[in-house]
Amino acid sequence: MSERDPAGAVFEALADPMRRRLLQTISGSPSTATELACELPISRQAVAKHLTALSQAGLLDRERSGRDVRYHVTPAPLSEAVSWMADVGGQWDDRLARLAALGEPVARGRARH
Amino acid sequence: MTDQIERELSLPGTPEDLWPALTDPDWLCSWLADEVWLELRPGGEARFRIGDEVREGWVEEVSPPVPGAEPGSGGRLCFWWQAQDDCASRVSLELIAAPDGTILRVREARPLEVLDLVGIPMPGNASGGERYGPALVAA
Repeated sequence: MSERDPAGAVFEALADPMRRRLLQTISGSPSTATELACELPISRQAVAKHLTALSQAGLLDRERSGRDVRYHVTPAPLSEAVSWMADVGGQWDDRLARLAALGEPVARGRARH
Repeated sequence: MTDQIERELSLPGTPEDLWPALTDPDWLCSWLADEVWLELRPGGEARFRIGDEVREGWVEEVSPPVPGAEPGSGGRLCFWWQAQDDCASRVSLELIAAPDGTILRVREARPLEVLDLVGIPMPGNASGGERYGPALVAA
């Protein structure tokens, strides 16, 4: 079981869309909670909570810089799985956005192209 | 241990209204991939083109929604796809009747054990996890 627990924590951490978004932002550039709160539509407290979850799952490392703590993405052994999930998840987001745009005509069963 | 993603989308209409969106190549080409060939029976061939990439696979399950389905029931299409030099993954598209429309639940999973079956070595593939794949599905 001990081998499975860390992976479970990773997938649980990644189940939340905001945490995926945070991870994506941080993978672009290491950031502090304050910087992330400015960029994303959630409070600094909410950001801090998500960062804790991501850190506990081993996806983020903390690094002190002056008074702040800067987070960066851990090159974890699971990073291949994580990048697969991010890639595949992103592809489905795009596909579902296209389907949602078709939603009405699909439901009516008309509008062939 | 299985890598899996899950997404849900609410759509207007009943599961029967939306079933063609999952099974009619014309509709599939407008959202799932650029070109789609699906042999709609378990064990049927599946082929997709996404840009320059071709994915090949097979159909695992075709369960059309039953007309007048009660909330919570619906239809399901499952297939496997695999791009060259990539590992196979299983896609499940489920239509679930909801009070104000239908929920499409998408799951894509990459059951690592399958890689053993087809002989692709996978580092860190702990044995003893869930087992999926053709051997089980054929039952």
